[in-house]
Amino acid sequence: MPTLRIENLGQIREANLDFGDLTVLVGPQATGKSIALQLLKLMVDAGQVQEEMSRYGLDWSGSLPDFMDAYFGEGMHSIWNGEKSRVHWDDELMNLQQIAKRKRKPKAENLFFIPAQRVLALRDGWPRPFTDYTPGDPFAVREFSEKLRGLVEKEFSGESLFPQERRLKKAFRDLLERDVFSKYALKVDKVRSQKRLVLGTGQEGENLPYMVWSAGQREFVPLLLGFYWLMPPTKVSRRGEIEWVVLEELEMGLHPRAISVVLLLVFELLERGYRVCLSTHSSQVLDALWALKHLRENGASPNELLDVFEAPKSMYALAETVMTKTQKVYYFERSKGVAKDITDLDPNSKEKSESGWGGLSEFSGRANEAVARAVANSNK
Amino acid sequence: MGFKEAVEATPNLQGKWIAGLGALRREDKPHVKPEDTTTTRLRGSVYIDRALQAQDPHGNRWDFAIGYQHTNRSDEFIYWVETHTGSDSQISVMLRKLDWLKAWLKGDGKELAKFDKLYVWAPSGATSFTKGATQVKILATKGLHYSGSVFKIPKKHAIAKRN
Repeated sequence: MPTLRIENLGQIREANLDFGDLTVLVGPQATGKSIALQLLKLMVDAGQVQEEMSRYGLDWSGSLPDFMDAYFGEGMHSIWNGEKSRVHWDDELMNLQQIAKRKRKPKAENLFFIPAQRVLALRDGWPRPFTDYTPGDPFAVREFSEKLRGLVEKEFSGESLFPQERRLKKAFRDLLERDVFSKYALKVDKVRSQKRLVLGTGQEGENLPYMVWSAGQREFVPLLLGFYWLMPPTKVSRRGEIEWVVLEELEMGLHPRAISVVLLLVFELLERGYRVCLSTHSSQVLDALWALKHLRENGASPNELLDVFEAPKSMYALAETVMTKTQKVYYFERSKGVAKDITDLDPNSKEKSESGWGGLSEFSGRANEAVARAVANSNK
Repeated sequence: MGFKEAVEATPNLQGKWIAGLGALRREDKPHVKPEDTTTTRLRGSVYIDRALQAQDPHGNRWDFAIGYQHTNRSDEFIYWVETHTGSDSQISVMLRKLDWLKAWLKGDGKELAKFDKLYVWAPSGATSFTKGATQVKILATKGLHYSGSVFKIPKKHAIAKRN
């Protein structure tokens, strides 16, 4: 199991992360989840990151603070706490000074990062190039955006993007149509010579431009394109040499039914052999992992998992594979700055962080208690 | 009348009041943790189930009553705690126990019914549902709080009360 050990980096005082096939990070805002995931990208792809940054004109002159600002984003050099900050990747102490100083041999990219700020990747309905951002914007956002631009320009010239027979299995297309796109199709449109993505009803002249899409559609389209990038329309199951996928806050802007579909797409990534890391503020994601764990441990039929997602029986093989995968869950705790392993997700745990699923079910717990109290003491 | 006096005034509970959490069986004690262990705010406990066994052998008797004096209330408060095994199939059993308790409080337990209260289920063994689960909400609407394995008695009550 790959491991990432972090000491004294930003808000993180100590995090010992063992990565399963699926790893989920939870915790309040600004507890270091995104830093940990961006650091993972750097550990996996240092050479590729340096090459990409150089290619687009970023020059950090061997300075670690400048490198940190260019990679994590403006002002983020402050997360590095000198000698106190330490990073171990697979038990090897990594010297970030050296990574900043010496150019590593470029190698093929191994980790694809879908950032929480993915909605920024589209401007006026078209993916922005890397250089469209300011130098202080995080590398992960700029690179994701550039990837989408390449995808749409090279692989979808003038085609419908959704539904798209060559991209996702029919079962996924049906679910997306039901729970995300409704009657709309996502396609490339042209206003004079400017290409743009629109949602169309199929009727001539009835295209909805980006600015009138719902918040959920704006969030979902970059995510969908990210999934397209990871699932090429060929017989190979993965793109290039990508082995890892990081997906931040998959639930953003989405209704629970759409979140279920995105989770099934994550399962598809697992079936294709990707190792997936998520961060989330959605208790639904942990509900899914909790169910998965117990179904797996009790030797349940994959149909039970499909039932959780109201997914069709045609996804049986997907469910069967996912039930063989390993999972890890970590809670990034604010006051102590530690990441706790809450993989057991035991609702009966004496550890509040685990029984309350890293705070995701605490509110429900309090609401339930208040109602129980009110009913018990009511004069009715 | 305080918790102890109310217990003594209740049919079949005379002499059953025990100081602190003394009425709880050894296996039940890990399920109830007062936040404030340094004071005498615990006003005692009663093992209802055992005390009423002879009188109502086939009833769905409740486990314990615990009297507590919160720092922000002038009255004593009763936590009615049940440590029955937690699983979906036991929800109906718990609701029957709650019905039994409510009926008993209307009759023999009327002195204890005068206190503000919280019915708590702190299940022993494995639990098959989460704190946010629909089942827990169903219980809440019946007045039963599912605490998870350990019920922590808070120092301050959520609702302050001064006479």
